[in-house]
Amino acid sequence: MADYREAPLATRPKTLDPAEYFNLSLNQRRAEEERAGLRAQLKRQYQMQLNNPHRKELIEDPALTRWVYARTNPYNHFRATKKTSLLGGLFGVVPLFVLYYVLKTDREEKRPCIYS
Amino acid sequence: MSPQQLNMAAVGFRNWARALSKGKQPGFSALFSQVRAASGPSKGMLPGPYPQTPEERAAAAKKYNMRVEDYEPIPDNGEGYGDYPQLPDRSQHERDPWYSWDHPDLRRNWGEPIHWDFDMFIRNRVDTSPSPVAWHTMCKHLFGFVGFMLLMFYLGEKFPSYQPVAPKQYPYSNLHLERGEDPEKQPEEVKHFNI
Repeated sequence: MADYREAPLATRPKTLDPAEYFNLSLNQRRAEEERAGLRAQLKRQYQMQLNNPHRKELIEDPALTRWVYARTNPYNHFRATKKTSLLGGLFGVVPLFVLYYVLKTDREEKRPCIYS
Repeated sequence: MSPQQLNMAAVGFRNWARALSKGKQPGFSALFSQVRAASGPSKGMLPGPYPQTPEERAAAAKKYNMRVEDYEPIPDNGEGYGDYPQLPDRSQHERDPWYSWDHPDLRRNWGEPIHWDFDMFIRNRVDTSPSPVAWHTMCKHLFGFVGFMLLMFYLGEKFPSYQPVAPKQYPYSNLHLERGEDPEKQPEEVKHFNI
């Protein structure tokens, strides 16, 4: 694999990363083992539920539930900082006034043309 | 608006209705408490506020099925991320197509922590794979070309260049008879050119 080149427009797979093969410290190896252990546990849980012949319901994914909850409830942890106030004002308040003035002036210009 | 009222607006009518029917506190006060249905994940399994202490960090890492060293919450800037982990901004295009994922179309395993922008990084959408040419080169080429064309069209409008034109010259003494003028009257001589 010394002359491996990535497929065009693709990232090199993690398993073929040369950094994974040479000069790995024990800590790095341990970290990889732990990650693999977590992955294996999750895989096992999923397979147990998937192949359970008595299962009648859908397999619920708690990671998905957490993601959906996090995405739909940002206001629980919202704080009015400079950046958030600026964004809120820019997207929520300024367009109201800008649109009002733009439409009003456009209408005022068109009004004599229509009614004359 | 206070965070409490904003939260109510965000949670929406469904929870309000559920709160009224299943609420832990009766009646009017149920509207103003953060009441959820009793089914589903417990409070500890759902995302929470930004972790302040190392114990909270460890608990959050365990909750999200990540190693404590890997878990890094999104920096707390008030935008409402809470303790959600910051995962690498890599699209699902970049994941191994030949590994046996639990969900092959999403290239994801069950229980794996989901990126905040996961719905943007699916294989139908944003692709962060390496491009054939470096990004800044592509930008320079595209905007250079578009800018150049815009400039040239603008200059063409400002300084038009076309074949020389003159008013149309009609024969038969400037169409004397066709214009209905008197046939006896002598037409005026119009000289169009000098030889």
